[in-house]
Amino acid sequence: MTVAASAALPGVRRVEQIMGLPLVVDLRDGCTGEVLDELFDWLRWVDATFSTFKDDSEISRINRGELQREDAHPQVRQVLDRCEQLRDETNGYFDMRTPDGSIDPSGLVKGWAVDRAAAILDDAGLHNYAVSAGGDMRVRGRAVPELAWRVGIQHPLDRQHVAAVIESTTDLAIATSGAYTRGEHVWNPHSGRPPVGILSVTIVGAELAIADAYATAAFAMGAELAPHWTARLHGYEAMTILADETVFKTGGFPDD
Amino acid sequence: MRKSITILLTVAALALPIVDATAATKAKAKKIVVTKRFTGSVASVDRWGSLQVTIVVRKTTTITGTKKKVTRRMTAVSVPVYPNHTDRSVFINQNALPILKAEALKAQSANLNMVSGATDTSTGFEQSLQSAIVKALKA
Repeated sequence: MTVAASAALPGVRRVEQIMGLPLVVDLRDGCTGEVLDELFDWLRWVDATFSTFKDDSEISRINRGELQREDAHPQVRQVLDRCEQLRDETNGYFDMRTPDGSIDPSGLVKGWAVDRAAAILDDAGLHNYAVSAGGDMRVRGRAVPELAWRVGIQHPLDRQHVAAVIESTTDLAIATSGAYTRGEHVWNPHSGRPPVGILSVTIVGAELAIADAYATAAFAMGAELAPHWTARLHGYEAMTILADETVFKTGGFPDD
Repeated sequence: MRKSITILLTVAALALPIVDATAATKAKAKKIVVTKRFTGSVASVDRWGSLQVTIVVRKTTTITGTKKKVTRRMTAVSVPVYPNHTDRSVFINQNALPILKAEALKAQSANLNMVSGATDTSTGFEQSLQSAIVKALKA
């Protein structure tokens, strides 16, 4: 569904459900939104190629042994390679391997697809936009010329409120992983159980693919490891909310 | 500018009753606050080496008449022993100790364009769609 430009709000907005998620694209440059067709075609291609719910996706074919990884689409190989790098970088807490031995790169695909969607908008000469995939997003520029983008971080225990507000006028990726979110199935790959003592982890930085993978990994680590692990990241800032309602923020977390 | 002032006022108005409530409890209740450091055992992290975590917990015991209420809040986390087995870990360990700010969880309302982490079942889509439309129409 596309919402046409109103008198007061510049640009154009479109929402579609892809990859099982609401994809919200909010363009605030004075544009007609022609670029949206290309952007949503890209997102649908990603879904068709990477979905573990679609029998004819390349990932499903790899999992059934019908397609060798080296014969897969170059972008599939790129994503799978990055999943493995991230597994090493997160001490094994971000892992695309599922307990049944198949692979599910969805944890990286969503953020990666949004990063490339942002690149499509950049190439179209747009400077003020937000692209959100189920609450993980890239924002750039300003919401309106006189106001920054204001992004709330969902309060994990109170759906009517937010736990923090980030104001951004730069290019920023924001990802939150939490137990309350839609079927994220985050478990600790080392113990095989869901993490304990932790409600949510938000990671902020340049790339959504990385922010999202770090958020998933830190959440899987649980209350004891997540705060200090996030404090040692380079170029990414974090907010971790524990079950006892303690909030840990890294030194440069950009909330108000 | 006017918008940000309005938001500040709203937050202040929300915060006031909470402050009053705390002051009222203080008058009647006796509070005992103990801050203690707890160190976990040295754990081996797979092929990554060993790791040990120390946490600081503030325990607040509030006694009102015969009633006793205990709350515990973690105020700091540090890692005296950290894996330095791989190149990556060594690289991480060479950096200064992590800077972490601990605070209590607050609920805020504010004028927002987007919410991170808001997806929830299939209603998330409708909510998101609805809010996008509402915002587009209101703004």
